[in-house]
Amino acid sequence: MLFNTIDFAIFMPIIFLLYWFVFYKNIKTQNVFLVIASYFFYACWDWRFLGLIFLSSLVDYVVGLYLVKTDNKTKRKSLLLTSLIVNLGVLGFFKYYNFFLESFQEVFSLFGRSLESSTLHILLPVGISFYTFQTLSYTIDIYRKRLEPTSNVVSFFAFVSFFPQLVAGPIERASNLLPQFERKRHFNYAKSIDGLRLILLGLFKKMVIADNCALAVNEIFTYYPEYSGSTLFFGAFFFAFQIYGDFSGYSDIAIGSARLLGFDLMQNFNSPYLSRNLGEFWRRWHISLSTWFRDYVYIPLGGSQVSKTKWIRNIFIVFLLSGLWHGANWTFIIWGFIHALFFLPLIFKSSNAKFKDVADNNKLLPSIKTVFQIGSTFLVVLLAWVFFRAENITHAFLYLNGMFDMSLFSFPTVSRGLVLFLVVYMLFEWLQRDKKHLLEIDFIRSKPLRIAIYYCLVFIIFYFAGDTQPFIYFQF
Amino acid sequence: MKKLLSHISLFLIPILVIWILAEVFYRTVPNNYTYKHKQISNNTDIEVLILGDSHTFYGINPEFLSLKAYNLSNVSQTIYFDKLLFEKHIKQLSKLKYLILAVDYTTLSQADNTQEDIWRKYFYESQMDLDVPLIKWYNPKKYSLALTRKFDKTWQTCEEYHNKGTLIGCDANGWGNTYLSTVDSVEMNRLAHVVAKKHEDGSLDFSLNTERIQQMIDLCQSKNIQVLLVNMPSVPEYVSVLNAEKWQKIDAVCQLLETNNSNVTRIDLLEDKRFVLKDFQDADHLNADGAKKCSLVIDQYLNKL
Repeated sequence: MLFNTIDFAIFMPIIFLLYWFVFYKNIKTQNVFLVIASYFFYACWDWRFLGLIFLSSLVDYVVGLYLVKTDNKTKRKSLLLTSLIVNLGVLGFFKYYNFFLESFQEVFSLFGRSLESSTLHILLPVGISFYTFQTLSYTIDIYRKRLEPTSNVVSFFAFVSFFPQLVAGPIERASNLLPQFERKRHFNYAKSIDGLRLILLGLFKKMVIADNCALAVNEIFTYYPEYSGSTLFFGAFFFAFQIYGDFSGYSDIAIGSARLLGFDLMQNFNSPYLSRNLGEFWRRWHISLSTWFRDYVYIPLGGSQVSKTKWIRNIFIVFLLSGLWHGANWTFIIWGFIHALFFLPLIFKSSNAKFKDVADNNKLLPSIKTVFQIGSTFLVVLLAWVFFRAENITHAFLYLNGMFDMSLFSFPTVSRGLVLFLVVYMLFEWLQRDKKHLLEIDFIRSKPLRIAIYYCLVFIIFYFAGDTQPFIYFQF
Repeated sequence: MKKLLSHISLFLIPILVIWILAEVFYRTVPNNYTYKHKQISNNTDIEVLILGDSHTFYGINPEFLSLKAYNLSNVSQTIYFDKLLFEKHIKQLSKLKYLILAVDYTTLSQADNTQEDIWRKYFYESQMDLDVPLIKWYNPKKYSLALTRKFDKTWQTCEEYHNKGTLIGCDANGWGNTYLSTVDSVEMNRLAHVVAKKHEDGSLDFSLNTERIQQMIDLCQSKNIQVLLVNMPSVPEYVSVLNAEKWQKIDAVCQLLETNNSNVTRIDLLEDKRFVLKDFQDADHLNADGAKKCSLVIDQYLNKL
């Protein structure tokens, strides 16, 4: 069930009404209802993989209970290992089995040997990377004694399967989301209105920005040998907005839907294309994943509190793993490698933590320096997106080869309207850069004007929506 | 809570009104689907039935066939719907002697739910009274045609109705060609590439659609009806741009169907030299003159059978 379908437009109000009117009195029945609704939501994708969510939930619930009962280090480690093996084993099998097998076969063939093994036809369960990381964070936090396990099985199952963020995040931490299942939720008008705004904004980003960009991207990336360097540049430019609109739109709808049910999910995107360096970009792009890697990989490796050589190693490990998390393809690993590579100057200048404030705060227009910083960061990100979008590495290099020739300075054959539209959208993001989201417009005192803005967005969604495309991040 | 619900309700009222208006529009204004359904239901003495997509819809004019014919093809009509339509109407078409079925580049490989034309299946079900197994009972679009199309398309359709006064784009025989226009060779070359890109689905899996054609042939066999498999004319540039291996495979499937079934004759007009540039309105569609020529060629074949 996609968020931008009639099915969800029917599903969500039914859940909302039952949740607040029928199951409101008892928190336990409300949570049971959420588990059923979430499993139903997932079953609409593919009911056969419900067992995997159930298994992942059950293992981590039990491991959590046993972890708190013992102080024996060996026992605790073996319990953690059990959770890691089950969760990463399932993820590894479904997502990476064929990739590693094919890669090994290629390595063997380089040495003139053949590895006798055949790939399997494996379907990738939707959202497996997201809920696996979410449940893992629960076990790891308990192991580190940073979190008390829950004894409430219903709350835990609801936490793992919570439908708004089940298939594409945000990847929530148990410390943030689990307690919300264990306390009574009260309906809050302002929160619900904000949730509805986020849903509207998410639909706009997905259906108008992402789906319209997708048409151009599919054409240009499929037939790239036929296009000039400038058109290929805009192909990558459109993809940057396609993936941004697609994923941040999904996150907005997820966060908005959760708000309607009285939950607060973490912010997943914060105007990433206004970042002034890569460090800032990664604090603004897919925040729930980058903070996950920060907390569970980067910091345990020593983070930046080690020698520069080890710091660089840590950065490369995190980015390469992040690439691999996205998909079983070398293109994603190269994508991560490029980000790590362009991160190096920040390490040498120790400026990775720079720019934690809002750019040119209280100023209407950015300074030339800010424009240059934002532009150069965006160019690096755009370059890396070529690998993310390409079918394979050869395709990516050929695409870049076509992009960086003299035709880069020719006039591109792309929709000028779409380019203009994206530029205008970014101007609005700039104006709203100090807000949590673009539709946080309470500063507009006139209610009719606010309503007019909502209707305007509804009209744009209905009239200018592109052909429906699947959410990109569902494949991860 | 009451405040929220009342505000949402008020906000949604204009959207609901537009939805209802769109629904009324689709349900009341006649279009190709409603018109063809009415025509085929009332004409039980048809001797030649033409099925297929836009190539036959625009390309075969029943007026130039000696026998009484009806063109039941439609834009983007797949074999899936050809079969459903044929099975629905065969019982009443007691005089039917020939079934003309187009086999083009996309015919055998096309999926049942292509994104571009996914809305059409609801119109077939609702307006041509077909039972479409692809549509599940719990699909909301089954119950509302306004939900099946994007708003901009609905708006364009309303504009078309406003400007032309009708949405029916075919004549009483079901033929849909009102175009006499043609294009020069440079433009045709460009169109050939554009259309070829659009038609290239990358699939060489013909099994499902071939099986459907075979089932239709078997049904015809049992009713003593001759089947004409027609490869409709296209401009040479269009043919050459597309996958040669796929063309060969299409050719092989057509030959096999003809060889294995005594009631099947195949007419290959794909690169027939009788069709020249001025017969086409674009790379793969005949114009009115081309349709006349094509219909007369087919008529000759029918007379020989």
